[in-house]
Amino acid sequence: MDFFANLSLAFSVIFQPNNLLFCFIGCLIGTLVGVLPGLGPPAAIALLLPSTLHMSPVAAIIMLGGIYYGAMYGGSTTSILVNIPGEAASVVTCLDGYQMARQGRAGPALGMSAFGSFFAGTIATLFIMMVAPPLARFALKFGPPEYFSLMFLGLTLVTSLGTGSLIKGLMMAAVGIFLGTIGTDIISGMERFTYGSYTLMDGLGFIPVIMGLFGIPEVLENLEGSLKREVYKTKISHIFPTLKDWGDSIWAMIRGSFLGFFIGILPGGGPMIASLAAYATEKRISKHPEKFGTGVIEGVAAPEAANNAASQGAFIPLLSLGVPGNATMAVLMGALLIYGIKPGPFLIDKNPDLFWGVIGSMYVGNLTLLILNLPLIGLWVKFLKIPYALLYPLILVFTLVGSYSVNNSIYDVITMILFGVVGYVMKKFKYEGAPLILALVLSPLMENALRQSLILSHGSFGIFFTRPISLVLFVAAILSLASQIAPGFRKKLKIEG
Amino acid sequence: MVLAMKRDQKSSLVWFAFALYICIETARKLPIGTWSDPGPGFWPLGAGLILGGLAALAFLKSLPGKFSEEKVPWYPLHTWKRIAAVLLALLIYAATMDSLGFLLGTFLLLIFLFRVAEPQRWTLALGASALISLAAYGLFEKWLRTQLPTGIWGF
Repeated sequence: MDFFANLSLAFSVIFQPNNLLFCFIGCLIGTLVGVLPGLGPPAAIALLLPSTLHMSPVAAIIMLGGIYYGAMYGGSTTSILVNIPGEAASVVTCLDGYQMARQGRAGPALGMSAFGSFFAGTIATLFIMMVAPPLARFALKFGPPEYFSLMFLGLTLVTSLGTGSLIKGLMMAAVGIFLGTIGTDIISGMERFTYGSYTLMDGLGFIPVIMGLFGIPEVLENLEGSLKREVYKTKISHIFPTLKDWGDSIWAMIRGSFLGFFIGILPGGGPMIASLAAYATEKRISKHPEKFGTGVIEGVAAPEAANNAASQGAFIPLLSLGVPGNATMAVLMGALLIYGIKPGPFLIDKNPDLFWGVIGSMYVGNLTLLILNLPLIGLWVKFLKIPYALLYPLILVFTLVGSYSVNNSIYDVITMILFGVVGYVMKKFKYEGAPLILALVLSPLMENALRQSLILSHGSFGIFFTRPISLVLFVAAILSLASQIAPGFRKKLKIEG
Repeated sequence: MVLAMKRDQKSSLVWFAFALYICIETARKLPIGTWSDPGPGFWPLGAGLILGGLAALAFLKSLPGKFSEEKVPWYPLHTWKRIAAVLLALLIYAATMDSLGFLLGTFLLLIFLFRVAEPQRWTLALGASALISLAAYGLFEKWLRTQLPTGIWGF
């Protein structure tokens, strides 16, 4: 009964004209962000965040959420037609998608990718409705030690599941934690690392830092090489896959959806890992693994279903526990905090219109994206042909004005540029930005939880290990780190032995 | 190969120096408190110590001969010049935004950006710059009611 009442609330919120409009705009921008290489969802969301400050929080989150999962749809178009991932989670789609395009089967590849994303998105939304409310009720049992352990787990998972070095990921998390301490300490009122600057008293601007770390380095990296990209010249026809294509893909799509959803829920999981895991699974269980990479349609269906399911599953830890699982969710959490909404177990009860509005928007958004990505595929291909030399000045101007418009402050613009340089250098030295951003957002919350826990326990760290939930979370965090460290040790022992 | 190794060593040393700065500044200026009542310096000091420890570990790991290294691409000088020119232009834009005003500053920045990476025709650069500046002004100033700087000329 509750299920249908909640569903009814979800649709009553999303079918308000204003919310419907922003859902559409989010999906449209998301597809564009996905199609155009060189601008990922975290940067795009940070870029548009200032423009949402005058909107209702419900409409704003609906739009920003639409950008995130919309990018998953759009990313596959570029992977299939250009052999460059439109965004990171579509990287594995290049393997078979581009080969299909070369064989004159770009249409079925694009079609199956869109249908797979739609199927996974719809299934994932259904699961969110079933999982998020009980999880939030369970999280009401959490005190400061449990919250600290949970956030610690989130940070360790993001660093250990990242694509780069574990040590470098942990270093970035430590840097993010430090940056999160800049400003006025909320318990003692003392200023930390502000050096008398009024601008820094409220802390380092979250939006300029994200825009700097994610937006500017992507532009600069694109400027390193040739600004021309080759769109594979092929006639896009037969977008609706044949019965044989459906037969080959349907189980891959179902497996990809389930796998993607569960990886998405995991803090640190995210769409990229989900798509890689789904592709690897399909290849492993396939009767013809040697054909993967030569243009098999299940090699497109599985990762595309997985990345979309994961992008929507990632909303669960944010909305029900208040812990962002990846960089994009960290940006959305920052947005919610700016709107004065605290994500966490109380969100569903205190802001039912926001939670159920987001759920409703996912149903409507997935349908919108299917329409946007199938009949309008020709339009997105045209966007792909826009030279990057014409596009990058536009992206840069939006990052500059976007960072300025948060507080009408030049300092925010300078912060953004400086973090752009830092982010670019970090990329060159293979340091990932995601752990830094996540730690920056979580730092004040973790500090609060740690200090409260230590006050409660009279200074004993045992409080984290004597409470069952906290203990389980801590052990999971240690295991996630150990699973990364252990192979290294094994290798070393082998060399020395 | 060796270049990549040196890079990891250098970067870990930079982070180690940064960690030292965090620890010293925290110890000098902020009360650390006690285990049962942590002060405002407790958390940043912890971050500094962890960062320092990890940077030291990264440095040791990057020592020659211990681990295999991957290649890091290096780009020709003109690529760096292009990137440096864009960054410099952004900094000049930020520094002069208040005096030049949004419209003029953005217009000039856009012309530069259109010409620096892959030089566009002057007519295209001028037309697109004017169009984008006006569109951004309309979007942010008029629609989103952001107070963009007007500059000494009042626009």
